[in-house]
Amino acid sequence: MSLLQVDDLVVRFRTHEGAVYAVNGVSFELEAGETLGLVGESGCGKSVTSLAIMRLLPKPAGRVEGGRVVFDGTELLSLKEEEMRDLRGKDIAMIFQDPMTSLNPVLTVEEQMVETVRAHRKVEREAARQRAVELLAMVGIPHPEDRLRSFPHQFSGGMRQRVMIAMALALQPKLLIADEPTTALDVTIQAQVLELLRDLTTTSGTAAILITHDLGVVAGMTQRINVMYAGYIVEAATTAELFAHPSHPYTVGLLHSIPRLDAAGEALIPIEGRPPDQREAPVGCPFAPRCAWRVEACWRENPSLVAITTAGTAGARVQHRIACHNAPTAEEAVAGHPLRSDFHAAPPPGSVVDELTTSEPLVDGEAVFPQDAPVTFDRQEGPSTPLYGAAGLPLPPEEDERR
Amino acid sequence: MSGSPSSIPVGSAAGAPSDGVAEPQPLVRVEELKVYFPITEGIIFERHIGDVQAVDGITFSLRRGETLGLVGESGCGKSTTGRAVVRLYKPTAGRIVFDGQDMATLQGEKLRRMRRRMQMIFQDPYASLNPRMTVGAIIREPLDVHGIGSGSERRERVGELLSTVGLNPEYGARYPHEFSGGQRQRIGVARALAVNPDLIVADEPISALDVSIQAQIINLLEQLQGQFGLTYLFIAHDLSVVRHISDRIAVMYLGRIVELASSRELNARPLHPYAVALLSAVPIPDPAIEATRRRIILTGDVPSPAAPPSGCRFHTRCWLRERLGNPERCSEEDPAMRELAPGHEVACHFAEQVDGSVEQRQAVGVRGGSTDAPAAQPATAPVAGG
Repeated sequence: MSLLQVDDLVVRFRTHEGAVYAVNGVSFELEAGETLGLVGESGCGKSVTSLAIMRLLPKPAGRVEGGRVVFDGTELLSLKEEEMRDLRGKDIAMIFQDPMTSLNPVLTVEEQMVETVRAHRKVEREAARQRAVELLAMVGIPHPEDRLRSFPHQFSGGMRQRVMIAMALALQPKLLIADEPTTALDVTIQAQVLELLRDLTTTSGTAAILITHDLGVVAGMTQRINVMYAGYIVEAATTAELFAHPSHPYTVGLLHSIPRLDAAGEALIPIEGRPPDQREAPVGCPFAPRCAWRVEACWRENPSLVAITTAGTAGARVQHRIACHNAPTAEEAVAGHPLRSDFHAAPPPGSVVDELTTSEPLVDGEAVFPQDAPVTFDRQEGPSTPLYGAAGLPLPPEEDERR
Repeated sequence: MSGSPSSIPVGSAAGAPSDGVAEPQPLVRVEELKVYFPITEGIIFERHIGDVQAVDGITFSLRRGETLGLVGESGCGKSTTGRAVVRLYKPTAGRIVFDGQDMATLQGEKLRRMRRRMQMIFQDPYASLNPRMTVGAIIREPLDVHGIGSGSERRERVGELLSTVGLNPEYGARYPHEFSGGQRQRIGVARALAVNPDLIVADEPISALDVSIQAQIINLLEQLQGQFGLTYLFIAHDLSVVRHISDRIAVMYLGRIVELASSRELNARPLHPYAVALLSAVPIPDPAIEATRRRIILTGDVPSPAAPPSGCRFHTRCWLRERLGNPERCSEEDPAMRELAPGHEVACHFAEQVDGSVEQRQAVGVRGGSTDAPAAQPATAPVAGG
């Protein structure tokens, strides 16, 4: 049985402007001792997923609206708050991006670490202090005895993150969730912290979920990766398989939009447009408006996550799942764009002009439409013709893609 | 590599920038630039008790039409350098010669007129645009300040600039909050282009953006460079981005340039122990390569620039010094920049020892150094999936 099983998790935020569809049915499993990467951009739901697992969603706005989270045989979402509190820190621990906001600035590291240990274990103060010294030494903080009396602000960024790791591992949790643990750090310090995390999780056999936007970081740290977009998992595979055969257009796009240190002067292929507004209920595939491979079905129907076969998975037990109606071929994934010359990304439904009449004649080449006439139009490549609406302003290109 | 058609052949035997004989006059020449920020004590009688030596004697030049990448970790002085070049900071010492004129001492009207030729793009597209001005007014402001064109010409120019950076020309009436991060950065770029500058200093222009948006801005910057023959000073902490966009790269550590070379040369053959460590720390999005790479883990943190170490500033964290049995020379003698290959300068007493070392090969990655075959690929097993 897996250590952690997330089934069809749905999280929404209630705001003044309506619901935000943060996580829309996410399912994954994590085996004991395994490191899983959750990769995606801001707003993709990767952090919200982890907060939901920890039951730390901001209240009252954030709500789990469906799904199950089973950790080590226990359903977490139905636990009482006291039971959950007992579990946090002891069985599941979390490291955040910014250690300065997750450490208490007015307490010394000693007070915070001793408190953590004694909250869960019936030990003497002195024993807890000894344990704190051991932990600080384990994460590579020089002179741990002295440093224990320091306040968080007296540590540098990298050292603070080490303190966070020491506290997270204080009670030997079975699962460690690290949310962008190195994003705030310089690259040489990032290397130190990642090395430490890898060593500690390997030696202690702690399972980990590593949440990051950096594909480079997960490449060297994880065994499996879930790529998230707009609250969905769009691609899930083992790390080696994902990088060898990226198959979802979003993953392919991400890999082509970051310059690689080891690749000389290749042109970057950006993902056009921007992440979707998650205040709208998702219709169709959330990536469709930005996708070069989209077909008509993408606008209507959100594809589900299904197993696929690639050169790497054929005949093997390697799992590779994607949510896509028209996945790029292996050659297209390498090229970064569709290769069939006759293929055009499907325009949004209802955007094809079949009948266009105006009550007014063209004035200086511009047509004037009556206010309530149903107007549909086709957007083509090339210079755009402004369409004037009631407000008198042309619609920005991304907004004419009305569905 | 930059996509600019006007880029200077990199890594060629163009001669050292320091001899300055054969080479055409660079657009900018920075000589022994120092920028210190005073540390004071006391409230009423402020006593000067020390200096943060943010930039401490750096020399480099910017050739016309090239992109020079300035890379280093936080606190290394790269942003201070960029700001001093456009005279947002007054240099403590040294010269900044822009097209024959020493900027470091210019004042008043003369400085203002020179400033028209250099513009800056900032990191945070949320903080660098005035939220109470319309986008049109923001882009138009440099034209107003420098008194360029009539009112209607300025209006027209705003629309033209917006389309140049890929935004709808009619967006001028909107406010910054109506735009996404990537779009705001485009507005910042449009503002920088308004006065037709020769030089653009881009300080971490993409670090605040989402990954999928970063490439849009990088491509835009490259396209504009080709279109307008711009010279870029591109400041970033991310070596893979800097490598992508730059013709030459200067690596900074604690207020000094420790290595300066063409982008290709630096990535294929880094010669300063810090540059090697920095390269090795950059994760490569390829698990097979990651499994075979060994990182150089630098111990400790960057020392305070208020009290930099004696001798070589990197000696307290240097892996090579340790390897060589901690020679005293490192902690006593400040290494000068030496040109070890044409156009490749390094400030390390023992840089020759780095060349060809295992660390150097490991750092550049298996596929690094596209020209020379990576024969010495370590025989580590590729990553076993799952």
